[in-house]
Amino acid sequence: MSLDHFYRFQDLARQQSVVFYYTGYFSQAIVSAMGDALRQRLNQTDASNMQRRKLFSVFIEMAQNVVHYSAEHLSASDSTDQEIRRGALWVGEQDGHFYVVCANPVAREQVGRIRDKLMPLLGMSNDDIKQLYKQKLRSDNDAESKGAGLGFLTVARDATEPVEFDFIDEDGPLSPITMFYLKASI
Amino acid sequence: MQNLHIPATSYSPQVDFDFARHQLSLRGESYPENASVFFAPIMAALDAYLAPLDHVRISVDVQLAYFNSASTKAILAVFERLNAAAVAGNYVTVNWHSDPDDDTIMEFGQEIAEDNPALDVHLLELA
Repeated sequence: MSLDHFYRFQDLARQQSVVFYYTGYFSQAIVSAMGDALRQRLNQTDASNMQRRKLFSVFIEMAQNVVHYSAEHLSASDSTDQEIRRGALWVGEQDGHFYVVCANPVAREQVGRIRDKLMPLLGMSNDDIKQLYKQKLRSDNDAESKGAGLGFLTVARDATEPVEFDFIDEDGPLSPITMFYLKASI
Repeated sequence: MQNLHIPATSYSPQVDFDFARHQLSLRGESYPENASVFFAPIMAALDAYLAPLDHVRISVDVQLAYFNSASTKAILAVFERLNAAAVAGNYVTVNWHSDPDDDTIMEFGQEIAEDNPALDVHLLELA
């Protein structure tokens, strides 16, 4: 990539009011350092305290989702701690709202499971999401989940609009891996 | 039994369980990579401390600025254990602090009080 390309890349980010962008490997240390930088950056914006807290919460849930579940990892595939996995994360500002977008590779066989978790949330009111959150918080853990199995619900709870998601076949329809995108507005 | 003290990191809380004085506190941030790994030794120490107690006044102070979803589940489990100790004849006071701008943490304190009626929960503003 020539310096001119980097400039165009930066310019597009500026036009789209991207506050923060990271792509590469995610570990707990990186998530924590990015979280600190994001908090300081948000202190310089007009965001209300409530908005900052919700944004931080969405950011952490999404970033830790990459650490736990991205299909591309540097750490051993069976480890549950000290993981390093690949993904990308954007935070931007649009018409007085903030958005957080996260992307990470997932195994194609996980697509159905992710879709089944997210689809029901799209049509739900914020009160319904809160009720479902309360209920799930008190139920047994999902066997495949490394956290509390509440990450998507937390993102949906803290978002001011229904979350958006998509799967993009970057390596063609036959690849066992597809890219999962999730967006929340706050 | 031995007191439990874990210093804070940027993503995990300071844990100060002074069992000799029956004063337990959690302060700071809680979003460790794996909340069950982080909370397992805390739960084990709490269980060992609570098991033989009878007619003891326990004071719990929580001042958390943020906790992620996995920590939320672990914190709820801490209060379920404390509630069981209160039902078993101890007296447990909980001072639950939250930032006035943080409805989520304040409401979670209310839920803890509703779920665990044997606890004497006070909802306070984070200083």
